[in-house]
Amino acid sequence: MLKSEAVTRMFGSKTAVDQVSMTLEKGHIYAMLGPNGSGKTTWMKMAAGLCKPTSGRILFEGEPVGVCSRASIAYMSTEPYFYNWMSLKDVGRYYQDFFADYSGQRYAELLRSFELEESLKVKTLSSGMMAKAKIAVTLARDAKVWMLDEPFNGIDLVARDRIKSAIIESAQPDKLLIMSSHLVEEMEAIADRAIFLRNGQLIKEADIETERTENGCSIADEYRRIYGAQGGTEA
Amino acid sequence: MKNLIKYEFRKTWGTKLIILGITAFAELAFLVSLYLDKEKYNGLSILALTFLAIGGIIFIGIQSILTMHQDMNTKQGYMLYMTPNSCYRILGGKVIENGLSIFVAGAFFFALGALDVTLLLGHYGQLGELKKMLDEFLRQLRMEVPLDGRLFALLTLNFLCSWLATVITAYFADVIATCLLNGKKYNGWVSLLIFIALSWAMAYLQQVCTERLVWDARLIWNAVIALGCSAVMYVATAALMERHLSV
Amino acid sequence: MDFDASIPIWMQVATCIKTDMVTGRLPPGEKLPGGRELAVRYTINPNTAARVYQELEKEGLVEMRRGMGTYVTDSPDRIQALRAGMARDAVRDYLKKMASLGYARREAAAMISQEDEKC
Repeated sequence: MLKSEAVTRMFGSKTAVDQVSMTLEKGHIYAMLGPNGSGKTTWMKMAAGLCKPTSGRILFEGEPVGVCSRASIAYMSTEPYFYNWMSLKDVGRYYQDFFADYSGQRYAELLRSFELEESLKVKTLSSGMMAKAKIAVTLARDAKVWMLDEPFNGIDLVARDRIKSAIIESAQPDKLLIMSSHLVEEMEAIADRAIFLRNGQLIKEADIETERTENGCSIADEYRRIYGAQGGTEA
Repeated sequence: MKNLIKYEFRKTWGTKLIILGITAFAELAFLVSLYLDKEKYNGLSILALTFLAIGGIIFIGIQSILTMHQDMNTKQGYMLYMTPNSCYRILGGKVIENGLSIFVAGAFFFALGALDVTLLLGHYGQLGELKKMLDEFLRQLRMEVPLDGRLFALLTLNFLCSWLATVITAYFADVIATCLLNGKKYNGWVSLLIFIALSWAMAYLQQVCTERLVWDARLIWNAVIALGCSAVMYVATAALMERHLSV
Repeated sequence: MDFDASIPIWMQVATCIKTDMVTGRLPPGEKLPGGRELAVRYTINPNTAARVYQELEKEGLVEMRRGMGTYVTDSPDRIQALRAGMARDAVRDYLKKMASLGYARREAAAMISQEDEKC
């Protein structure tokens, strides 16, 4: 569904993503793992059509990603990005106006499960509330691909479970979900594929349950093995 | 496209409403003072209205530039760039919204000005004398410019087109600086320098092209050149955004 | 539910369901939640949830009826056998652990009755 062909992205002389080639299939939840600066966000932004690779390309259903693919690929950045004059209701209307796959009903449902009021002003949201609101509006799109950059950042334990449930509800057999996180433990049960990036390079792509069955190895174990020298899981 | 324009308007309508509110207040002061023959207050309100007309239109442009700068340099830009719209459309939405705002505000203030001048002439018959004096003064300066509504209409048109071009120049300068420097230090200063250079180039072009024309043709051609430059810079800006977009 | 991340998740969920069958919380013939519902209930990946039922079906403990859903086996015998098997595993685990502490089989067995009296 999403294919990354030798994708490289440079920022000046720094290589953020380095020759990443991989194919992501629908019907799976991918955990994109790696410490900060390993290229997760940059790769996602390129797949979202928000910045262009320096070389290589990313294909969505056979076509290079760009303006059109944004209609089918829902991307949630880790930073807050709503206009601060908006209320959560306005945010929903905005998505309604721009995305054909958006459902106001699903948005309302998700806000309720995250205990957020539609009347809340973006300006007044705490960081945890903002993180939940971003997830709610992103998952309210019936997209073909969702990319969530650090969905658990700044979110308390109870809300994390709600978010995981919402993510699992969205993960239909014809959908692709990609989540990046450095909170590896949170990904263990909900992701079934893992992508390990280090210094912009793809280190390993693994089937998580296979890894556990064959090697008795959790993704956290694998993470420690791969990034051991770089300071563990930061969890 | 409709939605892009709608949200560009949503971002700026608060200040537009404030300008409108103050204008309404100044106009009221003008009418009341005219009715009560309070010349001092009448003069003050005319001054305020003139200032509001020019200042308001300039402010609308500046606000649009600031919004553009934010959309290029802060995370709120995602709101635009994640939608399935090309940069041509995104920038187009901005240009159309701002162009419309500037021209609607221009037409509004022009109509209001025309109305007020008519009222003023009706109220103080002797103002006709003043106009004659001004005409005489201009004739002595050997400027064959009749001081009438047509002149003001053309001046206004010229001002509005030039201002729109200036706003788009600022967009262009900002995008060039952002692409070159990736939001690093001195981004603002570099874009200011680029802006000055581009504005100078456009003024130079206008001067060279219209040097030998008579005053009304000159005003019209100035406006046409400003609109032409706007179109060119719009395309260049969008192309640059499309290639280098990275929020 | 908290999972041990080094053991396959499907296995842990399957054990959970098996325990419910043995204790009677899930009686024979009972309809089980759909795959997606199971995923949401345990907060696990939907593919993992599907695997849970596949593996339980392989063991003959559940029956997947096309278009109908998944049901606990009708056969009480199978559940009895499951119960016996799980009990056997528990005893083996116990013995293995005691052996690692240096206890002989006999000592380990004796300790069970000793502790039982105290309870």
